[in-house]
Amino acid sequence: MAFLECRRVTKRFGALEAVRNFSFALRPREILGLIGPNGSGKTTLFNLIAGLYTPDEGEILFQEKSIVHLPPHEICRLGIAKTSQITMPFGTMSVYENILVAALYGQNLGMSKAHVAAERILTFVDLHKQRDEPAGKIPVPSRRRLELGRALATGAKVLLLDEVMAGLTPVEIEQALLLLKRLSTQTTLIMVEHVMQAVMGISDRVLVIHHGEKIAEGTPTEVAGRPEVIEAYLGKRYT
Amino acid sequence: MLMRRAGLNGILLPLLILGAILLLLPLLGIEGYRLRLLSLLFMWVALAGCWNLMSGTTGYIDFGPVAYFGVGSYCTALFMIKGGVPFLLSVFIAGWVCAALSLAIGLSTLRLQGAYFAIATFAAAEALKQVVLEGDRVLGIDFLGGAHGLTLPSPPSGIFFYYVMLFLMGLVVSLTAVIQKSKLGYGLRAIRDAEQAAELTGVPTLQIKVRAYILSSSLIGCIGGVEAYWLTYIIPDDVFNVMRTIQMVIMTLLGGMGTILGPVIGASFLILISEFLGAKFVYDYLIFVGLVIVVVILLMPQGIIGTLVKKRGKSPWLF
Repeated sequence: MAFLECRRVTKRFGALEAVRNFSFALRPREILGLIGPNGSGKTTLFNLIAGLYTPDEGEILFQEKSIVHLPPHEICRLGIAKTSQITMPFGTMSVYENILVAALYGQNLGMSKAHVAAERILTFVDLHKQRDEPAGKIPVPSRRRLELGRALATGAKVLLLDEVMAGLTPVEIEQALLLLKRLSTQTTLIMVEHVMQAVMGISDRVLVIHHGEKIAEGTPTEVAGRPEVIEAYLGKRYT
Repeated sequence: MLMRRAGLNGILLPLLILGAILLLLPLLGIEGYRLRLLSLLFMWVALAGCWNLMSGTTGYIDFGPVAYFGVGSYCTALFMIKGGVPFLLSVFIAGWVCAALSLAIGLSTLRLQGAYFAIATFAAAEALKQVVLEGDRVLGIDFLGGAHGLTLPSPPSGIFFYYVMLFLMGLVVSLTAVIQKSKLGYGLRAIRDAEQAAELTGVPTLQIKVRAYILSSSLIGCIGGVEAYWLTYIIPDDVFNVMRTIQMVIMTLLGGMGTILGPVIGASFLILISEFLGAKFVYDYLIFVGLVIVVVILLMPQGIIGTLVKKRGKSPWLF
């Protein structure tokens, strides 16, 4: 049974088809990597699932129900949370309060239960030292962890991770990978990533998207050898 | 956590003592001009506090709060004159009328952002003023009194209004404090900091913005109703005057947006300085008031409270 499913989804911006006739099904507890060159439609696809855009055609189903016409906050409460490529912390609130908001509203908890949940997530993403600092003032790696923590605190069953590794050093990438592996025991992950070593190493399955269309799907090793993938990334000469 | 609680507790005791003193003042023989000045000050603290409740916490600059002040005044007046309804009940109903009106206006305007929201609320307030001004003439009836306004029944003593305004001020300040540490307050601040991220985090942004707007508007309506009875005479040009909006905004900015004590300090400062300068320079005191505002904002861009708190190195939200 598919957990999250896109059926022939199309999204147009004027004459440009950012996502065209895109279908995929996500299995529970899976790590799905989504790769493709810049501008291929990865972030658009995420925004469609999270409800920031409405598809022009096609269906998006979560646990067998259509979520196409729901506002983002309801999709989040159903259990789909997205982290953004450009982090958007609640800048004047403390790190802890950022996570608290997610627990309060994402899981729709009362004050005392939300505090308990927020403490747990704070430990999980290892931000205890910065808990009282304004979220707008912490360094990039911490911001990425905060973004992840906030998504987790909503009680997400599916996490859409949009380039969580961008701008991290190799050591920080290693740490992030460990965190994601621990996560994947409880949640389903879809990650958009340009850091190939990361996405190829951790994904159970990889989708390759190019010009808004799916051009390949399979295990990381299968996909990496496909001529159409090599062509999309490097050009015809290298196939 | 503990630090945060301490921040509030630190000012709670002085506030309670101040409250007790204010409660006792009329019994200690304060009357006439001073009583009236204090009542006026309480009213403006309450009004600025209401504006802060909505705009200070969400960052949505409401430029039409005077709409509810006017509607509240007129509702209270009409209920009392035409319906013979007792004063307090009239004010209560006026609050609910403003709540219903702000639900309609809020649902449509709170989808707008930045300057567009400010313009839309400003336009709504001006439109309502025109309705009250011209309503009678257009419909050929004698109900709202047009530009001549309405006269209310003669009011009780100044002490009565002193206590009503004191109560309203206390209500608004404590509501602000309670909301700040509540689920609603966290949601509103998340909207202020990053609205799209808030929506993606499960915050029903439109819904809670409208809730804050309704709360703020209905309280402003009640205050308008009280002032109408206090002054016994209302005209559209006064109760819908855009200067009232501007004064709420300036008081809050002077004191510190989004803080509990900001509107209290800002409104007290502006009212007292206007009175003081008004007595010294009867005809041109507004020039000096303007100068003082400019200087304070230049020296303390975060507002009086905001700047003090920042110097002590704590988040301004603690107060």
